[in-house]
Amino acid sequence: MLEAVLLFREALYGSLIIAVTCAVLGVYVVLRRIVFVGAALAQVSSAGIALAFWLAGHGIATALASHPEALSLAATLGSVMFFARPLRGPVPPDARIGVWYAVAAAAGILLIAKAAVGEAHDIFLEGNILGITNSDTLELLVVCTPVLVALFAFQKELLFTSFDRDTARTLGYHVDLWDLGFYLVLGVVISISMQFAGVLLVFNFLVLPAVTGLLLAGGMASTFVFSLGSALLAAMVGFALSIRFDLPTGPSMIAVSGALVILAWLVRRVQKRA
Amino acid sequence: MTALVSFRDATLGYGRHAVLRGFNLDILDGDFLGIVGPNGSGKTTILKTFLGSLRPMGGTVTVAPGLRFGYVPQRDVVDTLFPLHVLEVVLMGRYDRIGLGRRPSATDRELARKALERVGISHLADRPLNALSGGQRQRTLIARALVGEPNVLVLDEPTNGMDLVATTQILGLVRDLHERTGLTVVMVSHALNEVANYVERIALVHEGGYVVGFVEEVMTQQALSAMYGIPVEVSSFEGHRIVLAKRQQTGEHRHA
Repeated sequence: MLEAVLLFREALYGSLIIAVTCAVLGVYVVLRRIVFVGAALAQVSSAGIALAFWLAGHGIATALASHPEALSLAATLGSVMFFARPLRGPVPPDARIGVWYAVAAAAGILLIAKAAVGEAHDIFLEGNILGITNSDTLELLVVCTPVLVALFAFQKELLFTSFDRDTARTLGYHVDLWDLGFYLVLGVVISISMQFAGVLLVFNFLVLPAVTGLLLAGGMASTFVFSLGSALLAAMVGFALSIRFDLPTGPSMIAVSGALVILAWLVRRVQKRA
Repeated sequence: MTALVSFRDATLGYGRHAVLRGFNLDILDGDFLGIVGPNGSGKTTILKTFLGSLRPMGGTVTVAPGLRFGYVPQRDVVDTLFPLHVLEVVLMGRYDRIGLGRRPSATDRELARKALERVGISHLADRPLNALSGGQRQRTLIARALVGEPNVLVLDEPTNGMDLVATTQILGLVRDLHERTGLTVVMVSHALNEVANYVERIALVHEGGYVVGFVEEVMTQQALSAMYGIPVEVSSFEGHRIVLAKRQQTGEHRHA
C-alpha cells in the first residue's frame, strides 16, 4: 500500500492543498449562507471545462484541450460578478442561484456529451485527482498560498463584513468591494480546484468541514481549526481507503467527510446532554 | 447648539421611489432625538441617508466633518450563527481604528471591556453571543457602538420584540448614557409611546409628512390627530405620556 501511496503522492499533496483552502473559505461560505453560490460556481466552472473540451473537439480552439482551466476561470469569474452584485427584483436571490445552477449543470452535460476529447467525462463528473502531477501541485500552491495568506491577513475585515454589513458600512468599510473580493477568491479557488477534484469533491470541501467545525467549536478560531483538521483528515483517510480498497478517490474523501459530520453531531449532542 | 447633521429640502428614498420630500431636520450636538413612525414611513430611510448608506435624491444632507457614528442595528439582523463571543463582537466597533490587516491590541481589549462595563454586562464578556437574551444582546451592540468613541449614538428599533422589562431597561440605559455624558443620541422606533417618554425631541414621520419638535410640542392631541388623520388622545399617568387612538364607531359597528 505504501508503494501505491508513494506512486500517487502528488495526488495526495494536491488533495491536501484543495482541502485546506476550501475548508478555510468554506467557513465563510457556510456562515454567509451562500452554500448554493458555491455549488452554482462549481457547476459553472465545470461547464467552462466542458465548453473548452467541446470547442477543442470541434477544432475551434484546440489549445483549450490542454488548458481547459482558462475557460473555466473566465466562466466562473463572469458568474462571480453576477453573484457579488446586490440584486433587487421580484425573483428571490436563492431562486436566481437555482436558475444559474440548473442552466450551468445542463449546459455542462450537453457540451460534454458532444465533446470529442477523451477523458472528458471523468474530469467532468469526478475530477481526476489521481492524475495530479508535480506541476499541477505547483499550480495549486501558486494559487492557493496567496489566497490563504489573504484570508488570514484580512480575517478581521472579512468577518466583520460577513457578520454585520450595515454596521461595517457605517464604519467606512466598502462592503460591496469586500464581497466582490471574497467572491473572486472563491471563484478562482473553485475553478482551479475543479479541474482536478471535480464538482462534488470541491463542493464537499467547501461545506462539510465547515459544518464539522461549527458543530464542534465554541468560537471562530476553533471553528477554523476543526474545519481544517476535518478536511485534512478526510483527504488523508479517504485517500488511504481508496487505495486500500480500490475505491474512487473523490467519493471516498466525501464519505469520510460525511462520517466526520455525523461524529461531530453526535459529540455535540452528548455535550449538550452533559 | 451646533448642527451635526442637517437635512435641507431633502428628497429621500430608494432608487426612483421617493419616501419623503422637502424634508428638513437638524440633529444638534447633545440632542436626544427620536425618529418615530410606522413601518414604511421613511424613518429608516432618514437614518440610512445620514449614515451614508443612501444618497439623497434631492436637496442636501450635510454631515459635520469628522463626525463619528456609533450604529446599533436592529437586533435580529445580527446573525447568531456566527460562533462569536461578546468581547469579539464589541471589538468590531474598533476595527476601523485598528487598521487594515492588523489585530486588536491589549488596549483595544481593555476599551472593549470598559464599554461592556458601561452597559452593565462586563461579566458576560466571554459568553457566546447566541447564548444571550434579547436585552443582553442589545447591550452588547450598544457597547460595540460606544467602544468606537462616537459623537452620535444611532439606534435602529432598539426595543423591537422585547418584553416590558427589557424595553424599560434598554431605554433607561440609553437615557442614562445621554444624561451622564451629553452624548448625542438618535433613536429610530415605531413605538411612539415608548420613545416619547425618554427622548427630548421627536421627528414624527407619517405617510410622506413629518413634524419635528420638542416632545411637549409634538405630543399634543391636535398635532398627533392632524398627523395621523384620526382622533388621538394624549393622556398622562404619573408623568408618563400615553398616546391612544380614540375608538372609532363605524357604521357596521353601530348596526351590530
